Amino acid sequence: MSAAAARPLVTVQSLESDMATDGAAANSVPLPDVMRAAIRPDIVTFVHGQISKNARQPYAVSNRAGHQTSAESWGTGRAVSRIPRVAGGGTHRAGQGAFGNMCRGGRMFAPTKIWRRWHRQVNVTQKRHAVVSAIAASAVPSLVLARGHKIEEVPELPLVVSDAAEAVEKTSAALKVLKQIGAHPDAEKAKDSQAIRAGKGKARNRRYVSRKGPLVVYGNEGAKLVKAFRNIPGVEIAHVSRLNLLKLAPGGHLGRFVIWTKYAFEKLDSIYGTFDKVSEKKNGYVLPRAKMINADLARIINSDEVQSVVKPIKKEVKKAPLKKNPLKNLNVMLKLNPYAKAAKRMALLAEAQRVKAKQDKLDKKRKPITKIITYFCCLSMHLRFWVYLYFIGSLLLVSQSRASLMQPGWKLPCPVYLSHSVICLLQEEASAINSASKSWYKTMISDSDYTEFENFTKWLGASQ
Amino acid sequence: MCRMAEKGGQIVPESVLKKQKRTEEWALAKKQEVAALKEKKSANRKLIYNRAKEYAKEYAAQERELIQLKREARLKGGFYVNPEAKLLFIIRIRGINAMHPTTKKILQLLRLRQIFNGVFLKVNKATVNMLHRVEPYVTFGYPNLKSVRELIYKRGFGKVNKQRIALTDNSIIEQTLGKHGIICIEDLIHEILTVGPHFKEANNFLWPFQLSAPLGGLERKRNHYVEGGDAGNREDYINELIRRMN
Repeated sequence: MSAAAARPLVTVQSLESDMATDGAAANSVPLPDVMRAAIRPDIVTFVHGQISKNARQPYAVSNRAGHQTSAESWGTGRAVSRIPRVAGGGTHRAGQGAFGNMCRGGRMFAPTKIWRRWHRQVNVTQKRHAVVSAIAASAVPSLVLARGHKIEEVPELPLVVSDAAEAVEKTSAALKVLKQIGAHPDAEKAKDSQAIRAGKGKARNRRYVSRKGPLVVYGNEGAKLVKAFRNIPGVEIAHVSRLNLLKLAPGGHLGRFVIWTKYAFEKLDSIYGTFDKVSEKKNGYVLPRAKMINADLARIINSDEVQSVVKPIKKEVKKAPLKKNPLKNLNVMLKLNPYAKAAKRMALLAEAQRVKAKQDKLDKKRKPITKIITYFCCLSMHLRFWVYLYFIGSLLLVSQSRASLMQPGWKLPCPVYLSHSVICLLQEEASAINSASKSWYKTMISDSDYTEFENFTKWLGASQ
Repeated sequence: MCRMAEKGGQIVPESVLKKQKRTEEWALAKKQEVAALKEKKSANRKLIYNRAKEYAKEYAAQERELIQLKREARLKGGFYVNPEAKLLFIIRIRGINAMHPTTKKILQLLRLRQIFNGVFLKVNKATVNMLHRVEPYVTFGYPNLKSVRELIYKRGFGKVNKQRIALTDNSIIEQTLGKHGIICIEDLIHEILTVGPHFKEANNFLWPFQLSAPLGGLERKRNHYVEGGDAGNREDYINELIRRMN
């Protein structure tokens, strides 16, 4: 709602009978504020619906209908239903059911009454709002087209005609006027659409139906134009200070094709006021304000003010991944703990090493004995005895002189019968067995509970 | 109204140009963001690797130290007493019907609202007394490294934004516990196992573990462990139960 100075201009269409005195070919009038009011189809539908009830004539059935008998129920025991039956005799009517809505010739269910509420009250502001909306809608070409008017040849909407139109006297001249301003196709459409009504209405004094044509609005009282235009089929006339919603939005649908005379058009401002100025004719009335000042959503959304703070669209919506067990799935484990691979590898290697070491140890323990025995078996009886003696001797020697255990070159008096290599072998074997047994004793002590017993420790001689 | 810009002879409305510029800027910003994130992630990975290595060493050293101390003591003729456990793992073994309201409340405070729910717990006078009140409904003990690891890896879910989110990525942990220096799952395990300074936050981050019914069954729910049943403190044998329930 910018200042009044920014109001767009509407050119007034000139007629042939116009004065050539106006130098400017196009006279122009500023657009009245009414035409920029908010268009509210909901209000118009509501108000139109209410107002159209106000011209109704009451209808009702006769209040005596169906009761003009003295029927009485026969009661039970006569093998007939209990509905009241017509008394008397000698005619078909006797004994027939009466009064009930189900009976032939009976009274209807809920007989219609004349005191039905036929008329509806509507708030004045609401009625004015509706009219204002309808006037504004008549200035929007798309709405007028949507309502079905043929305005393809109309030069401008709202269509304002010079005041010369108000002086038109003859209907033929009126038609010419319509042709000049491009409103004839609409009037023609109305004429062509005249047809007999479908339905019972045709027998109820509503025989013909036709489409609506243009609505001509004039400003001067008693203008000749009324008589000229009123006989043209489809064309309706209205004075600007008495605009009827039922004419501006026929059927509750916005966008009647309106032809304004210049005088009428200029009067609109004073009748309805502007957004700032109170109406002169309607006491204290100001044009209604729209809910949204700028209703162009696309423009608002794409404006710099909004876009500068807007975040980019989230196209990929993150979905939670299916949980996989890291203890079974290596890749998932590595995602969580990158060290897992190295740890696993080290563990595997360590395990392999351990297995190997154990095997070696076992082998070492088992191997030498078999060697000696095989050698032993090869010897003669005589030599075997000496080997055996020597072996035991070396063992005893080793066990007694612990300090000299690791001396490499200790000697034992040896018989000549045994070769040097055999002696070395025996010595090695003896020392190996001794060291093994010693370590075993040690673990036996440390892992056992026998350390509690003092005697035992003394026997084993194990201290530090 | 709209100023039109000439573009190769065709008029392009200004709004279209503006939108193009905007989308370009956003795409650029996004690309930069992604690159920065990637860099940070790779740096993080190195850190996590080193930490995990450290912890592995630490755990192994702890184990060996314990064995060594024991052997030493035995050798000298004395004893080495294990330090009292700092960490407990509690499992609720009874259902929800017919419970005294106070014990019900205590179980709620311990976050054991469902049968076979498990939580870690710090050992102190307060918690021990609480456990005493709910003994017939739970079984608990001292979990070892393997138990803690397996529970957190297999059944670990975190409380993120009051939601139960699976621990499928270290970023989930970093998001919540980053400010306490816990950025990966190994950090979390370490914090829980060696009841660290931020045990409370780390433990609360972990949603109560929803374990399966034990393979091979329980012995006798209504009796205490020492009587041949299942309830109460079963110290180190909790690990065997966890293997069957995890």
